[in-house]
Amino acid sequence: MFGYWDALYFVLVFIVGLILAYLLELWARRSGMGTREIGDGTKIFLSGEDPEKVIPGFEHFEGHYTGRNIMWGLTYALKRFFTVLRREHTGLLTDYVSYLVITTAFVLGVLLIWG
Amino acid sequence: MIQFQFITAFLLVVLGIYAFLAKRNLLKLVLALDIIDSGIHLLLISLGYRIELNEIPTAPIYTGYETLKSPMVGPLPQALVLTSIVIGVCVLALAVALTINAYRHYGTLDVRALRRLRG
Amino acid sequence: MNGEMLSYLIIVPLFGAFSMPIVSLAGRRARGAWALLISGTTLAVGSALFYSVWKSGGVFLYTLGAKSPLGQGVNFPIRIVWEVDLFGAIMVLMVTLVSFLAVLYSLSYMKHDTGLDKYYTLIIILELGMLGIAITGDLFNFYVFLEIMSIASYALVAFRNDTWEGIEAGIKYMFVGSIASSLILLGIALLYGEYGTLTMGYLAVKLTQNPTVVGKVALALFIAGLLFKSGASPVHMWLTDAHPAAPSSISAMLSGLVIKIGGIYALTRILFSIYENSVNMKAVGWIIIIFACITLIVGNTMAVIQTDMKRLLAYSSVGQIGYILLGLGIGLAAYGSQTGEIALAGAIYHTFNHALMKALLFLIAGAVIHQLGTRNLNELSGLAKTMPKTTFTFLIGAAAIIGMPPLNGFASKWLIYESSAVFNPLLGAIAIIGTAFCTAAYIRVLYTFFGRPSERAMEAKDPEGTMLWPIIILTVAIIVMGLFPWQISDKVMIPAAKALENQMAYVSALLGGA
Repeated sequence: MFGYWDALYFVLVFIVGLILAYLLELWARRSGMGTREIGDGTKIFLSGEDPEKVIPGFEHFEGHYTGRNIMWGLTYALKRFFTVLRREHTGLLTDYVSYLVITTAFVLGVLLIWG
Repeated sequence: MIQFQFITAFLLVVLGIYAFLAKRNLLKLVLALDIIDSGIHLLLISLGYRIELNEIPTAPIYTGYETLKSPMVGPLPQALVLTSIVIGVCVLALAVALTINAYRHYGTLDVRALRRLRG
Repeated sequence: MNGEMLSYLIIVPLFGAFSMPIVSLAGRRARGAWALLISGTTLAVGSALFYSVWKSGGVFLYTLGAKSPLGQGVNFPIRIVWEVDLFGAIMVLMVTLVSFLAVLYSLSYMKHDTGLDKYYTLIIILELGMLGIAITGDLFNFYVFLEIMSIASYALVAFRNDTWEGIEAGIKYMFVGSIASSLILLGIALLYGEYGTLTMGYLAVKLTQNPTVVGKVALALFIAGLLFKSGASPVHMWLTDAHPAAPSSISAMLSGLVIKIGGIYALTRILFSIYENSVNMKAVGWIIIIFACITLIVGNTMAVIQTDMKRLLAYSSVGQIGYILLGLGIGLAAYGSQTGEIALAGAIYHTFNHALMKALLFLIAGAVIHQLGTRNLNELSGLAKTMPKTTFTFLIGAAAIIGMPPLNGFASKWLIYESSAVFNPLLGAIAIIGTAFCTAAYIRVLYTFFGRPSERAMEAKDPEGTMLWPIIILTVAIIVMGLFPWQISDKVMIPAAKALENQMAYVSALLGGA
């Protein structure tokens, strides 16, 4: 269904794409002004992690590039959904058993009425 | 006549699940596990009781059967319950061992103190 | 069909497990060699069984203690039978392969722990329980093997009992798991009281002739208990506490095998081979589809905001179980059409693929913890510079789980997307949203690995010896299986789905004689 999906063709297309990207970069390097080598704009800035700014108390984190703020956009946009989910995972043993009893009651109800 | 054995069996299971939801002491939760198992064992045993030719059945022993010729209860549920009792004892032993270890780490037997893993 | 090979599948691990404490008196090397020998022999028997079941295309039957399951002078079965069709054979191959690799890995991972003779005994008993569930054809025998597997896994989760995490996770898993097993036993007791038999094939015949309310109540109890054991939402919370707290080779076995054999395989066997024509298949299918959708959303979403690496992998496991349940539900609701068959084949294929991928990811997480001593993602930055082989294999594993094409996760996920889009487009949309969140979670970990090394990561080096070999074997298996997806799907998975739906073959192998 829906077309031709053989795995070896995917590997071939991927390699051809890599070669095309390399040729494009050679062309761009030849015809442009080049990239920065020195100065303030060469710092890596992964979603808010500035390696030069030191937060007093977290000195052992400076210079690391962790993925802590990578998905900031996703997390901020769905903040209410994530807060509700996190609040539901309480960690109490009695909550686990109450979820099991609710599931049993739901399945029993649906099965007795419609099946 | 009212089948008291089935009502008691289901009442035991429901009491066990209620105790699991409402009690806080870890040892009472272990006892609740045992009560649920006892309810299911009572249900299984009472399923073997068969009434045949209007006589009360006896234990399933073959010695002297040719002279008595009396009906017997079904022997298969008794084998199932024996296996299940052994499994229940194994679970109970492991649960009590884990409870002792939890008391050593947390200092309390309250199940609401075991909340360090959440989120 | 001859099934004498089936008894060796249980005898060899049983003998190995009970002689392990005696052999370990002879020293550390003898213990490791004996564990490796037992699991290697079981792997050989398991693959021979899979090959012969696949070649013959039928159902293998083995009666315990006699030549035929039927009684003397009566025409109904009274003995315990073991019955294997192609789906069971695929599960046997999966269990023996991943168990062998986990035992090989733990030879050097658990070197610094004490009490290791009990550890090796328990890991072989865990494998024995899973093999028993995969080949049995009798309901109470299934319950006994389920309890063997569960008790071994409770003890192994709480193995490191000098830390609070192992004890807390062990208590939570154990208490609620015992209640779920008791619910399953209650279902078995109700079925026995109503129909008088425990053999799965004969129970199917009796249920088709006489469906009653008691059968439906028992089915509801089975579904609730087995959904707990397989880690579906909203009862998935034990999984995300127990899988990080166990030692990493046990996490690989728990997340790759236990939730699939104890939950998904048992549910499929009960729904397809026992209850096939006696309940309304559409209603049961839609119940499972509802739980699958909740699992997909909750599991993959919670994985994005975790800071602990193994807990992220555990939530990702919950999400992938959502895919398998979705395939299973569509296979039930669209029973008899080609959409249902493709969905069921996709679910079986994804079970096998996810076992390999998740075992690989948990073994890599174990290697990282062994070298660096921490699981917190905020301290693990920059591993790619000092542990390049580990990072490369993690990249392969993550790409396989999110479903990138030349690897094996693509084929099974494609079958599930295709069938769910044809069945109901809303379900296809939910499945693809789940993949989007899954990609987000794994990209976080990969960005952390490819950053600048922290001080802890500077002094790490690649794992060597027996910790590296299982990782390399699993990576090669993932890449090789990804190059031939449609051949595997057409020759192995679709016949397995067809054999599962064919209840008549299952029953007639039992009642037709030896």
